[in-house]
Amino acid sequence: MIVAAEQERALAASVHESVGTGAELVVEAKGLVREYGAVIAVDGIDLTLVRGDFLTVFGPNGAGKSSLLKMLGGMMRATSGTVSIGGVPLDFSDGEWRRRVGMLSHQGFLYQQLTAEENLRFYGKLFGLDDLDRRVRARLERVGLADRAHFAVRKLSHGMRQRLALARALLHDPELVLLDEPYTGLDPAAASVLRGVLQELRADRRTVVMVTHNLAEGLALATRVAIQVRGRFAWQGVRADIDELRFERLYHQVVDDGAGVRA
Amino acid sequence: MSLYLRQVGVVVWKDLLLELRTRERIAAMAAFAVLSGVLFSFATDRSVVRAQDIAAGLIWMTIVFDGLLGIGRTFHIEAEDAAMQGVLMSPAPKDAIFLGKAISNFALLYAVALLVLGVFMLFFGLEIGSSPGAVLLALGLGSLGFVALGTLFAAVSSGTRMGETVLPILVFPLLVPMVIYGAGATGRLLAGRPVAEVAGNLKMLAAFALVALAAGAGLFRFVVED
Repeated sequence: MIVAAEQERALAASVHESVGTGAELVVEAKGLVREYGAVIAVDGIDLTLVRGDFLTVFGPNGAGKSSLLKMLGGMMRATSGTVSIGGVPLDFSDGEWRRRVGMLSHQGFLYQQLTAEENLRFYGKLFGLDDLDRRVRARLERVGLADRAHFAVRKLSHGMRQRLALARALLHDPELVLLDEPYTGLDPAAASVLRGVLQELRADRRTVVMVTHNLAEGLALATRVAIQVRGRFAWQGVRADIDELRFERLYHQVVDDGAGVRA
Repeated sequence: MSLYLRQVGVVVWKDLLLELRTRERIAAMAAFAVLSGVLFSFATDRSVVRAQDIAAGLIWMTIVFDGLLGIGRTFHIEAEDAAMQGVLMSPAPKDAIFLGKAISNFALLYAVALLVLGVFMLFFGLEIGSSPGAVLLALGLGSLGFVALGTLFAAVSSGTRMGETVLPILVFPLLVPMVIYGAGATGRLLAGRPVAEVAGNLKMLAAFALVALAAGAGLFRFVVED
């Protein structure tokens, strides 16, 4: 029996070792807990990510994955525990650390009556970005929406909105990218665009945390993998150490066994 | 222009553009203003009370109810697709976001306040008096104080299940000073009294607006944060 907490400590220790050798620490979460009344959505998660880490978090519905992402992105306060981005503790001020985080959530954070371009320009100005015209054009082209730049968001399909939301999340070139079920509802063409963007993020050594149910997509680019059950990382490891078939078996085993322990 | 002002400006631009596209609030507010003027003119017996004695109070009450109708929905456009979450995740200071929304709400409410004034002048046969600038100033200061409180409490009520039902209960008690000084100033000015006579009222309206704006800007972050 391997206790998950021991795994977390071992993995964190190896990461700290690499930080010591020059890897840039991007995210450090300690003892993250989030409670909704009597329900504990996130139950004491420790997490350390360095530049270039691509962590995919799998888990059943209600495991607390979205809550974890929201806390890492400064969208939700932790009941207890701390999160630091690039060594700066999240204090919910309007701090510069917000420039370092980009988030793609279940919702797009888009104004339905504004056009695709207007939405990006609005967020670009909120972030105080330079060279906004070029940046907006480039992002729209990258997600394949250049020809829909002047379409109101409400007239776009779900897949297009999702791609636009991705462009919004990446508009300010964040070093930490948080993705919550990004493949949900995407047609193959839109999924291919998303896959391409994620490959670029990986090649550019951005730090990514992705929550998904899609095992194939989730494992494709991951450098680290975690399975979250009942608010805890019931299992986590290095992607290169496990193949897809074995991981699938492991996933079902871990989820069936419950949080904290696996055989 | 500083980044702060650009952030305020882009929130104003976005809100006004959305209103221009949907006309959701302005149409309802304008219709309410006209209907109120018509109904109040039928409901008052001008052989018993003079129009200028009651018009100012009715004008301000119409502005208050009309304002709640429009300002109460200021966060509805933000709730769609959780757009407000995206705004809050930006590095824009929360007070800049508040000021942007308050300014766009002010533009909307002031336009409606002028319409209310015009409608009541028409249906009550009022003249604007010898100091039209002071009348407009009184309405402007009152509208500014109103939107400062209204925007803050609309953010509070948007997070509750009762939503728009809660908003008047929260805001009305706080608007009492604004209505007293606003109606007092407007009534006297419409009756042709000199500006000097209402200078105290105008100062109180300005103080009310400044305090409400400062309080709103300072407290907004606590309302919108998780």
